[in-house]
Amino acid sequence: MGLFILRRLFQGFLVVLGVTLVVFVATRMVGDPAQVMLPLSATAEQRAAFEHKFGLDRPMAEQFVDFIGDLATFDFGESMWQRRPAMDVIAGRLPNTLKLIAAGLGLAIVLALPLGALAAIRPGGFADRITVFLGLFGLSLPQFWLGLLLIMVFAVTFKVLPTSGYGGWTHFILPAVTLALPAAARLMMLVRSSVIDELNQQYVRTARAKGLRFPQVLFGHALRNALVPFITLAGWEFISALAGYTVVVETVFAWPGLGLTAMQAIKFSDLFLLQAIVFTVAIGIVLVNIVLDVIYKLIDPRIKLA
Amino acid sequence: MNSITKLLSRAALAAMVALPAMTAAQAAEITIAVGSEASTLDPQKRDDGGERAINDNIYETLLARTPAGELVPGLAEALPTQVDPLTWEFKLRPNIKFTNGEAFNADAVVKSVARIIDPNFASEQMSYFGTIAKAEKVDDLTVRVVTTGPDPILPSRMYWMKMVPATYSDDPAFQTEPAGTGPYKLSTWTRGQEVVLEKNPDYWGDAPSIDTVRFRFIGESGTRMAGLMAGELDVITNLLPEFVESVPKSAAVQGVETSVIILSTENEATKDERVRKALNLAIDRQALADSLYSGFALPTKGQLVNPRAFGFNTALQPYPYDPEQAKALIKEAGAEGKTVTLVGEAGRWLKDRELIEAVGNYWEEAGVKVDYRIEEFGEYLNQLFDRKKRPDAVFVVNSNELLDADREMSFAYMPNGTASSNNDPDLAAWVPAARVETDVEKRKGIYAQATQKAHDHYYLVPLLNMQDVYGFSARLEWQPRVDAKLLAKEMKVTE
Repeated sequence: MGLFILRRLFQGFLVVLGVTLVVFVATRMVGDPAQVMLPLSATAEQRAAFEHKFGLDRPMAEQFVDFIGDLATFDFGESMWQRRPAMDVIAGRLPNTLKLIAAGLGLAIVLALPLGALAAIRPGGFADRITVFLGLFGLSLPQFWLGLLLIMVFAVTFKVLPTSGYGGWTHFILPAVTLALPAAARLMMLVRSSVIDELNQQYVRTARAKGLRFPQVLFGHALRNALVPFITLAGWEFISALAGYTVVVETVFAWPGLGLTAMQAIKFSDLFLLQAIVFTVAIGIVLVNIVLDVIYKLIDPRIKLA
Repeated sequence: MNSITKLLSRAALAAMVALPAMTAAQAAEITIAVGSEASTLDPQKRDDGGERAINDNIYETLLARTPAGELVPGLAEALPTQVDPLTWEFKLRPNIKFTNGEAFNADAVVKSVARIIDPNFASEQMSYFGTIAKAEKVDDLTVRVVTTGPDPILPSRMYWMKMVPATYSDDPAFQTEPAGTGPYKLSTWTRGQEVVLEKNPDYWGDAPSIDTVRFRFIGESGTRMAGLMAGELDVITNLLPEFVESVPKSAAVQGVETSVIILSTENEATKDERVRKALNLAIDRQALADSLYSGFALPTKGQLVNPRAFGFNTALQPYPYDPEQAKALIKEAGAEGKTVTLVGEAGRWLKDRELIEAVGNYWEEAGVKVDYRIEEFGEYLNQLFDRKKRPDAVFVVNSNELLDADREMSFAYMPNGTASSNNDPDLAAWVPAARVETDVEKRKGIYAQATQKAHDHYYLVPLLNMQDVYGFSARLEWQPRVDAKLLAKEMKVTE
């Protein structure tokens, strides 16, 4: 197990390095931060001074060598927009995003497991039809629209929750639900189909024949076996939330997290901040994958970690 | 039993008495939404709208403007007097202190000037202050600002330069813990969330009626709208014109931005003056203002210069909408079916893509083919600033914060200006001459000549002067300003 984790960490290191290098090149191909960030009326000297300050006037190869050197110390330079170390900006924002994902994904899992299992007990039955309908509905909701809709209903019309921003627990509800609903739908559909598969297995019949009650079979065996694909999808949901969905949700709710910061970094052509964000997200993805592998092993000891 | 009833009725009475008092206390706090967070609270470092919105309430300038845009004394006691063509003398108001206790005096002014023009400080606001050489103290309340050449716009420049304390401005803490002379001071700054300002109890001017001002950072316009409708926000900026009907209150004011298409006099497609004239006559500007901006934009009057700016030529007539003449001119010039490349971008300015495409449609109706090049912003800027290869037509929105025609002239009129596309020798001579002409009437005359010449030769296709549209909560009373500053001291709430 230890060796396995070490090996995966090494692979992950290569992935993060690769991603970061691609970003280094890509961000320098599109947009000139000196032009985007300074006012249209800025003089040529001002633009030159800006480029000099951030070392953008040097040859790309030289910038690259420096970049790699700084990478070793997690130094991504100063955010051009915020004018403080990019990693400081991220340190202030990442926890907010992780909290949001924890709330959203937690809610999605809590909804998906029982609903999916309920639907699977009698495929085609009333409960199944209702949950499948809701699931398809959830799957087809554009998150951006869902967020605004929830704001209009719960914050503007009924005034029971704040429209946006970060603060007390009430601020969590709408963004977490917006993040959770489509994920819950995807997860629920998966739980449903895997449990249906499991319930049709021979071992279920055997278990029933030897006198186990249905709930025991369902929760003790079928659901547990359905957990492996579920964990895979849940991990994927985490990654998608970190690398994508939170960008939308945080923008709609003015949530001061990494996703909103990524949007702003792109808007301001803040290369250094963008690099640091991509690097952080890449590390997050690698770590989640390793954790997932370990969880598989814990759930199903038959799985070999290679 | 009886005593309980008494107690209850007393409590009810107390609550009734307390209620109006409580709403009055709430009324003294307002929340303003701005699109992006301030990157710093140093008022001299960045050119950043998020920073400006907050610091306009904390810091002050030697000269100020009325809501309508007229230049009036601020921290200076009166408008400056000219000692010689290069030297302007300011008399300062006495007994003013920064909120950290330092006195506002000649030393503070000298420091403010020296700090912002210091090349090592690399202020992004230098495009406003490029002509300033230094400031000299005459006595404690008298300062002279010296320019590198005659600079008639200096008073307007000093309306843009925020005054900082002489000593504390060197402290690194100054970037996050501001100290100004203004009506408000910083209470808290929670990064990513909000900045809270509270009334400066020692403010030298009239005390503002609002005690606490909360700035929240909400980039998404739909979310800002929702916040306003839910009663969480009192002021939102950049309200979309189509939402004006849905918000509790709104107000619009002539803004500093004007959209324009710059035509190249050197390119094959637009070299012929008849073509450039046709491209101007083909456009129904009023229809664009009404359909795209619900009327919250004014057709330009034959020039790019902001109508509130010094140098606006009142004698010029708007280009009429005459599609028949436009067609005839295109035919006459043999440009029928020829391609005009129209370079633009999408998303930087309100409905920019829609405006570009609508103008292109008018041009196609007049008989030319339009090659739309809606570029990514960085690539768009490359083409806008490219001095060697000018696009046939490039769309841009010019912003004139200083309200002086020199901005438009240097940007789009003068050959080799930031984004201009003509080679007119007269404009090449007049614009720099006007920049150093300190005789007000003479200077106005030069701008009249320059705008007339560009008008007659159709160097530009001026489009619309934008209005700034604000959304307010029902309780907020405020007259928005021409210079788009969000001055909380001018705001009031009614309950």
